[in-house]
Amino acid sequence: MSTTEATRATPGAGKAQTEAAPEAPKITYGRNGVPITPGGVTGHGFRTYEIHQRERLGQSTAKIKPAQLISPEFIRNPYPILDILRENYPSYRDWLENSYWITRYDDVTSIFTDDANFETRPRRWFYNIADYGRDLRLELPVLFAQANAIDGNAQAVAEEIVGDIRAKGGANLGIDFAARFALELLVRQLDLPKEDAPLFCERYWRMTHGFNVDPVAEQDGLAAIRELTEYFRPLLAKRRANPGDDLVSAIATLDPAGGPATAEDLVVTLLEGDHETLHGGLANTLFLLLTNADEFQKVKEERRMAKFAFLEALRHSAPVLSARRFALHEVERFGKLIPEGGMLICSAGAANRDPRQYKEPEKFIVGRKDLCQREPRGQYRADGLPAGIAFGLGKPSKHPAVPEDRPRSLYAITRDTATTALNVLIDGLPGLRLKPGAKPELRSLKLWDTHTCWDLSVEFDN
Amino acid sequence: MDSITAFLSNIVENTDARTSEGGSPSPAPRARFVAAHDFPLMPVGQACDMGHAPDGTPLIDPRIFNAPEFFRNPYPYYKIMRDHYPVFFDKLHNCYYVTRYDDITTCYFDDEGFNTIPKGSSSGVLGNTQLELSGVEHRRRRNLYGQHLVGKSLDNRLHAIESIGEEMIADWDNLDESIVQDRNGVRSVAIGRAFANEFPIRVVCDVLGFPKESRKKFFYWYNSMMSGLGGSETHHQGLEARQDLEDYVGTLVEERRAHPTYLYDAAGNPIGKDIISKLCETQIDGDYLSTEEITSNIALVVGGGGETTRGAILNMWYLLLQHPQQLEAVLADPETMWDVAFHETLRHSTPIGGQPRHNSFDIELHGVKIPAGSLVNMVDFSANHDDRIFKDPEVFNIFRPDLYSGKLLRSGYRKEGRCSHMAFGVGPHLCPGAWISHQEAVIGSKILQRHLKNPRLNVDKMPKDFDGSLMPIGLISAKEIWIDYDLN
Repeated sequence: MSTTEATRATPGAGKAQTEAAPEAPKITYGRNGVPITPGGVTGHGFRTYEIHQRERLGQSTAKIKPAQLISPEFIRNPYPILDILRENYPSYRDWLENSYWITRYDDVTSIFTDDANFETRPRRWFYNIADYGRDLRLELPVLFAQANAIDGNAQAVAEEIVGDIRAKGGANLGIDFAARFALELLVRQLDLPKEDAPLFCERYWRMTHGFNVDPVAEQDGLAAIRELTEYFRPLLAKRRANPGDDLVSAIATLDPAGGPATAEDLVVTLLEGDHETLHGGLANTLFLLLTNADEFQKVKEERRMAKFAFLEALRHSAPVLSARRFALHEVERFGKLIPEGGMLICSAGAANRDPRQYKEPEKFIVGRKDLCQREPRGQYRADGLPAGIAFGLGKPSKHPAVPEDRPRSLYAITRDTATTALNVLIDGLPGLRLKPGAKPELRSLKLWDTHTCWDLSVEFDN
Repeated sequence: MDSITAFLSNIVENTDARTSEGGSPSPAPRARFVAAHDFPLMPVGQACDMGHAPDGTPLIDPRIFNAPEFFRNPYPYYKIMRDHYPVFFDKLHNCYYVTRYDDITTCYFDDEGFNTIPKGSSSGVLGNTQLELSGVEHRRRRNLYGQHLVGKSLDNRLHAIESIGEEMIADWDNLDESIVQDRNGVRSVAIGRAFANEFPIRVVCDVLGFPKESRKKFFYWYNSMMSGLGGSETHHQGLEARQDLEDYVGTLVEERRAHPTYLYDAAGNPIGKDIISKLCETQIDGDYLSTEEITSNIALVVGGGGETTRGAILNMWYLLLQHPQQLEAVLADPETMWDVAFHETLRHSTPIGGQPRHNSFDIELHGVKIPAGSLVNMVDFSANHDDRIFKDPEVFNIFRPDLYSGKLLRSGYRKEGRCSHMAFGVGPHLCPGAWISHQEAVIGSKILQRHLKNPRLNVDKMPKDFDGSLMPIGLISAKEIWIDYDLN
C-alpha cells in the first residue's frame, strides 16, 4: 500500500483536517445496518459526472435529508428547511420524492413563465380522472360572472359576517372570518339556495383537498366530486332554461367547442379554481397584523395600507407553498439535466423569502419598498420589483392584456376583495386584539395543503 | 349562522402538523398516518388498515413505503398492490410500481419502451456505468467486464474462492469475544462479521486484481457506496467513498497500464490478466478506457458484488436454520441442494428489491396512463411472491416444484410449470454477477458446512420482532446471525 497511500494522502490532506476537525466522529449505518467506517478518507473534492456539477454549484447534499421534506415538522413550519435548500441547493435533486426543488425567486419565475418546456398537470390528473370534464375557467362569460359576483357581494358578505361576530362577542378569525368569507363568496357566485350552502361547502372542501397523498382523503374527494356533479345536474338544467347572472347560468348557457357544458364541466371548473389564496391570504394577513402591533397600527392609521398588508402577507407567508411543473422534454436548467417528465417543485415559500430579492425577507413590513405594489400583469415583476409569488393570482392569462372587453384579472379582484374585507373588519371590530393566552401559529393540516392560521381567537371592544 | 364553516372544526382537529415536542394535537377520528412511525407493526403477513374504497378495495397510503412496518413486513402490501393495483401510482414518491411477475418480465425485455434507471441516481456514486445505458451502448460496456464473471474465466478462479473461505474460518480462533465465543465446547459465532460480510468482498477483490492490503478499504468502499446511492440518507458518505476509491484506483491503473498483473490457477500457472489489467488495455471505438471509466466499472463490481452475496448467504442460513428439516436435506446432499436452497432463498427473501425504469413513451398499463418519462419501479420482491406464479409464495420451501433452480439466463426460464425467480432481474439487464454470486454463496456455504458441526441458531443473541419471535427478513437482508455449533 505504501506508494499508493503516499500519493493519495498528499493532495487533500490539509483540507481534510480542517474540514473534519470540529465534529466528533459519529457512526453512520448503511442500509444493511452495517456501520460505515471511513477508512482514512481524504475528503477532498468530488470529480465524477454529476459531482462536477455539484462542485460548480458549490453543492453537496450533506445539510439536508430528503425525509425532512415530508416530515411533520415540515408540514408545520417549512421555512427553516426551505432556507437550507435555497441557500445551499437551489435546485435540489430530491431522490426520495423523485423531484427537483426550485427555491430561488428568479429560478421559480423562470420556470413559471416557460410554457414551452414545462407543463402544469391539473388537479383532476392527480385524481386520475383527467377526462372527467373540461376546465372552463378561462371562458369570458365565466370570468365576467365570477368578477361581477365577487365585486357585487364582497362588501355585503363582509358586513354580514362582522355583524355575526359582533353579536357573538368573539371569534376565531381564521375560520369564522377568512374561511367563511371565501366560501360565502363562492356560494354567492353560484347563487345557491341558502339551505344548500353548508352541504355544498363541505363537499367543495373535500373535493379541493383530496388530491394529495392521503388515500382516504382521495376517496372522500372523489365521492364529493360525484355528489357535486349529481347536485349540479338538475340545477344546471334549470338555469339553462331560466338563466340568471350567476356562474352556474354562465356555464349553463356556454357553448364551447365540443358541445354544451355539462355538470361534470362545472364541477371540474370549480375543482381547478381555488379559494385558498383568498381564504389563506386573508387569514395570514390577520395573523401577521395581530402579531405585529406596529404594522397593524400603520394599517389602522392609514387605510390605503390594507392592500399592501395583504400583498406583503402573501409574500411573507404564502398560503399555497409550492406548485408542481413537469418537464415536457429533456432540458438543461440550473446546471442539471432535467429528464423528460421530471417534476419540479417550485417553492413560493422559499422564493418569497429570497434575500436576493428582499431585504430582511423574514420580516413582515407593510408597504415594504422592495415589493412590487401593483398588479404585475401576469408577470412576476413590475417596475423592476419582484411581486411575490401567489398562485391563482399571478398566473399569466390566456388572453392578451386587452382590458376593454374582459374583467380585471383574478389577481386584482382577489386583492381588492381582501382589502374590502379587511377594512370592514377593522371598522366593525374596534380594538381588535388577540384573545389573552392565544398562541396562534401558521401550519398546514396535511402535506402540501394550505399553510395558514387555523386558530386565531380574538376579542374586541364592544 | 356560521353553519357553512361548521364542518371545518373537525377537519382542523384532524391535523398532520406536529409540534416539535412530538405531541399529537388530538385523538384522530380514524386511522391516519403521517410520520413513518405512525404505521402500527403488524403480525408478519398481515397488512395494517389504511382505509377502504367504497367498493371495499383496500387502500394503500404511500407513506407506508417509508415506514419501519413496511421494511420488516412488506409482502402483504405488495399483495394488495398485485391484486388491486397492478400499476400503483405513488404521489408521494412521484413514481409507479409494477408488481406482477408477468408485467415485470414484459417490461424488462422491452429495452426500447423502458429506459434504464434514472440518470444520475447511481452515477453520482458509481460513475458512468452501463447501469444507466440501454441497447448497444449497454451491451458493449457490460461485456467489458461481464465476460470475466462467467464461464471458463470463473471456473478457473473457483479454487481461489475456496481458499479465501478457508483462510477466513481459520482466523476465527483469533477473533474477539464480540464475534466468536466459546462456552463448554460450544462455539457461538456471528456469521456476518466472521464470514459473510467480507467473504464476497475478498473474492471480488481477488478477481479484480486488487492488492490484498486493500481489502479493509474495500469493505468501506462497497458498504458506503451501496448505502449511499442517490436518495439515501447517507448519499454524502457514498460520494466520499467514491472519491476515495477513485484516488486509490487512479494510482493502481497507472501502474497496471505499464505492468499488468495476472491471475493464477490452482497449480500456480498464469491463466490471464486480472480484470483491472484487462480493462487497462480495453478500447471502445479506438479509444482506451479512461481511468474514470475504469474506476466506474470497478465501482459497479465492488458495489454489486458485495451486499447482494452477503445478504444471500446470511438469508439462506437464517431461513434454513429456522426450517431444520430443510437444513437436514441440504446437509445430506450438499452437491445439489445448496444450489436449490440458494434459489429458493433468493425467491423468498431477495437482497435487492427491484429496478427502476423510465418509460420512453406515453403508455397505458392495466388502465393506468403513465406519461412518458415517469419513474416506473419494477418490484422484484413482489414478482417473487406472485401467487399467479409461485404457489404459497410466503412459505420458504426448497422442495417447491414451481421454482426453476438451474443456471439463470438472460432469457429467463418458464417451462413445464417452473419459473425462474426475479432476484437477478431478467432480460438485457440481468445481473452480470448472477453466476459468480451463486458460486460464492454455494461454495461459501459448503465451507461453512464442513466446519459447523450440528449448527443451530443462538436465539438469545438474535434480534427479536415486537412480539418476541425472531425478526423477519423483510426488505433488508439479515443484519447478523449468531450460530452455535459443537467444537468436538
